[in-house]
Amino acid sequence: MTDEKEETGAPAEEDRATRDAERRGGGRRISERKSETVRAAIRDELAEDAPAAEQRDAEKKASGDADAVIELAHVYLAFDSPILEDVSFVARQGETICIVGESGTGKSTTLKLILRLLVPEKGHVCISGKDITGLTFEEALEVRQTMGMVFQGAALFDSMSVFENIAYPLREHTKLDEDEIEQRVREKLQFVDLEPDRVMDQLPSELSGGMRKRVGIARGMADNPQIMLYDEPTSGLDPLTTGTITRLILKLQRELNVTSVVVSHDIRSVFRMATRVAVLHDRKIAFFGTPEEMAASDDEYLRDFLGGT
Amino acid sequence: MTPLIQRFAQATKAKLHTVQDYFSLAGRAIGFIFARPFYAQDLVQQMDEIGVKSLGIVLLTGFFTGMVLALQMSVQLQTFGATMYIGRLVSASMIRELGPVLAGLMVAGRVGSGIAAQLGSMRVTEQIDALNTLGTDPIKKLVTPRVLAALIMLPILTVINDFVGILGGNLISTLLVGIPTGAYWQTVWEQIASDGFTFHFFPNDFIQGLVKPFVFGGLIAVSGCYFGLNTTGGTEGVGQSTTRTVVLSSILILITDYFLTQILLALFAP
Repeated sequence: MTDEKEETGAPAEEDRATRDAERRGGGRRISERKSETVRAAIRDELAEDAPAAEQRDAEKKASGDADAVIELAHVYLAFDSPILEDVSFVARQGETICIVGESGTGKSTTLKLILRLLVPEKGHVCISGKDITGLTFEEALEVRQTMGMVFQGAALFDSMSVFENIAYPLREHTKLDEDEIEQRVREKLQFVDLEPDRVMDQLPSELSGGMRKRVGIARGMADNPQIMLYDEPTSGLDPLTTGTITRLILKLQRELNVTSVVVSHDIRSVFRMATRVAVLHDRKIAFFGTPEEMAASDDEYLRDFLGGT
Repeated sequence: MTPLIQRFAQATKAKLHTVQDYFSLAGRAIGFIFARPFYAQDLVQQMDEIGVKSLGIVLLTGFFTGMVLALQMSVQLQTFGATMYIGRLVSASMIRELGPVLAGLMVAGRVGSGIAAQLGSMRVTEQIDALNTLGTDPIKKLVTPRVLAALIMLPILTVINDFVGILGGNLISTLLVGIPTGAYWQTVWEQIASDGFTFHFFPNDFIQGLVKPFVFGGLIAVSGCYFGLNTTGGTEGVGQSTTRTVVLSSILILITDYFLTQILLALFAP
């Protein structure tokens, strides 16, 4: 026994050392294993969604020559402390840019900059080649008419029916008559897979969360905008409804070639929708590339981020 | 000492900014009255909300205030054997002071808080941001119709309040003091006519009584909209906005009432 102990002494020491080392770096190893699992799942997701990948390739080819629809150049924004520093990215015609990152990293702020609800202290925000940072309030209102925004809580006007909500931008900014407006509202409701006759007269408070989001999308796209912005479109929804909303965003991009920016925490949806992903970390863009590039990246923060989701 | 002074300076600066923002909102809201697009439907809806739906409380407060005025004055005037002047005193008090101030305070409590709660809820549920992103100026769409409706409806409510107040006085002076209705209304008219007429037609008493609710209406609506639009902190913030609106508009009504009275007395001096 003693000999055996002596014989096995060295390997036993080695094992102990290995176990100690494992204990010391255990968190990291678990994180790496988890990250690997998530990345494998993402690869599966991307493989499952092969048509989407093909579509992305086609779009990438097309977008190589396409004009930049949304461009943020070296944007710096601070309130009491810096919110965004040197943020730059470009969204070309038909692209879907998904912005991800931890809470409080300035994702929704980026959408507000694109909408010109906020003005950067340094840098520029250009929409269809036009710098919008120096616009007056009234000029900014006109620029916003080319965009559709879907809010986290849908932000439907609760004193108006579903019909009035979707008709609102049409009544405000177009000269369509009432029949044309009704036809447009029906068309948009059908696009988001809602039965017009069933929901048109309902108030937002009578709808489920998923239906409210869909009506929000219908209102955002009512005036056929060139750009759609989504602020956490799938947050607070069950997995089935999340899938429905993700499919709707994809449908909007594929059928209408709309340029989209999506702020989301839902990595699974992001990998299905995104042409490119922007990861915001520490007030800066930590990564900007395709979902495939993101999944294949060896960057420590990205690995941790994907592993933690 | 220096940090204390700095803190005081910062606090003063913040307050001055608030005052500036308040008047800026009032200026923009009034400026948009004459700018397209006109939200006529919203205006009618707000006139109904602010005016028609406030009628009940205004009728009640006016009627009982007139009654209590007549009751108190009858006791005092009986000492001098001058009870026939009840009508004069009730009408002067109601038309010049109590009518506008009471209608203002009632509307501040009912409508001011309602405006702040509605706009505050719209702010915290991102509906104001949604208006902005849909290319609509929230001030033009939400604030202007409310301010205009208050400017129109509060003088109308005040006239009704004055009338039912004088009617309440009539009831008490006829039933309890024994002054015939005809004699009561005769003294009411004598009081109105005694302060003279503008353009030989508009009684000066009425003009004094109508300038005030016009100003009060603006104060109530702008206060409600200001606190509503600047709501932060979710549903708790909405509650704070409604409280602030009622407190500020009530205080402003009482303070401006004094200064307006000074100005109007100087303008319409007999």
